Amino acid sequence: MTQVTLIVNGDSRTASVPPEMTLLMLLREQFNLTGAKLGCDVGDCGACTVIVDGKPVNACLMLAVQADGRSVQTIEGLATQDRLHPIQKAFEDQASLQCGFCGPGVILSAKALLDKNPDPSTQEIRDALSGNLCRCTGYTKMIEAIQEAARVLRGESPGSK
Amino acid sequence: MRAFEYVAARDAGQAVALLAEHGASVKILAGGTDLLVELKSASHAPRMIVDISRATDLKNIALTDEGLSIGALVTHTEIMDSQLIRETFPALADAAHTIGAVQTRNLGTLGGNLVTCVPSMDSGPTLIALEALVTIAGPEGRRQMPLTALFVGPRKTALKSTELLVEIIIPRRNLGKPAHFLKSGLRKGQALALVNVAASLWVDKKKNTFAEPRIALGAVAPVVMRATQAEAYLEGRAVTPEAMAEAGRIAAGEARPISDFRASAGYRRDLIAVLTKRALENAVLLARAKPEITTK
Repeated sequence: MTQVTLIVNGDSRTASVPPEMTLLMLLREQFNLTGAKLGCDVGDCGACTVIVDGKPVNACLMLAVQADGRSVQTIEGLATQDRLHPIQKAFEDQASLQCGFCGPGVILSAKALLDKNPDPSTQEIRDALSGNLCRCTGYTKMIEAIQEAARVLRGESPGSK
Repeated sequence: MRAFEYVAARDAGQAVALLAEHGASVKILAGGTDLLVELKSASHAPRMIVDISRATDLKNIALTDEGLSIGALVTHTEIMDSQLIRETFPALADAAHTIGAVQTRNLGTLGGNLVTCVPSMDSGPTLIALEALVTIAGPEGRRQMPLTALFVGPRKTALKSTELLVEIIIPRRNLGKPAHFLKSGLRKGQALALVNVAASLWVDKKKNTFAEPRIALGAVAPVVMRATQAEAYLEGRAVTPEAMAEAGRIAAGEARPISDFRASAGYRRDLIAVLTKRALENAVLLARAKPEITTK
């Protein structure tokens, strides 16, 4: 067992993990953060997407020990008690999710994109979502929601504040 | 995943020392995007995993006396974001962009893509078209070989069990050489190449002829291959659309594609001819756009 300390959604968390444990299992089983989903478990579907040091990665393809000392953002870190994150709000307003299983990963991929690029083109959004598979809603409403959230985050839309 | 012993190496030297001590019972963890998938389905775990993902000495991108040096641990995203690479070899950034999806490119490394040595790798063709060398560290020090010599067979490299790939070098004589990469997959994201092709060339300014054309093909042979007959056909020949189309047909004849559930061998041959022609045409366009540095 190895002791790891990482910043999860702004808070320092410590755990004792076996070397073969993935970051995804650490988040879900030890920290009870079940927003990141176990989908394909081989890096194809993106349901386990989390943001590590500013970059979206598949938590199923990273060992928990590799996250030691790093900063991890999960879907649980986006909303506050009384307010959804603008991306979450736009997904709700535009009905961009049906079953919702891919949602946490999609929203975190979108967040990582908008953090880097506040005004992405449709093609750039499609590229950012290419590692997140959705099998029920489809991507059109997600792309519209991300464009709307980008407007809000840029302060251009009545939805802001 | 089955249990293993885990050691994080702080640099290449420590990783090589661990390999010297434990040899074949060690697996190297870089980006993990292939290794973790393999470990999850493996019936036997390696005894030890040596994690090099924090070895900062393997993450440099720099111009050196030898040429453009890229550390084995540089990720595909870092290749896409590198101003130096975008300026000197945009084809490398284009090839990196076709790998997997954002999440894979943020973790996956250039060295990992090469040593995994699958025939459809997207990093290989451009590097081979630019005659890249690799630096390998081992117990007796470092050695270099052409990248083509690293590839022995599907998932089989020339690395000994005590050796580590540390650096990829594009030789100085090829700096600024116009090159273009094209990939055809079943989708744009998360798709392995049915065929991928890279071409590099100089255009002789006075004679309007090809000089040192290089063509590399992926996913159509046991390892990424050079289309040497097509190259020989173009060398010294006038730059015309017909010559580039003929080079594509020759390249298709040289390849040894297989039929599988993604595509038939015949379809892959058709793709090789078309993609080779287009890669050559695009490299010629680059050469014409920057005649001061891209002609000899």
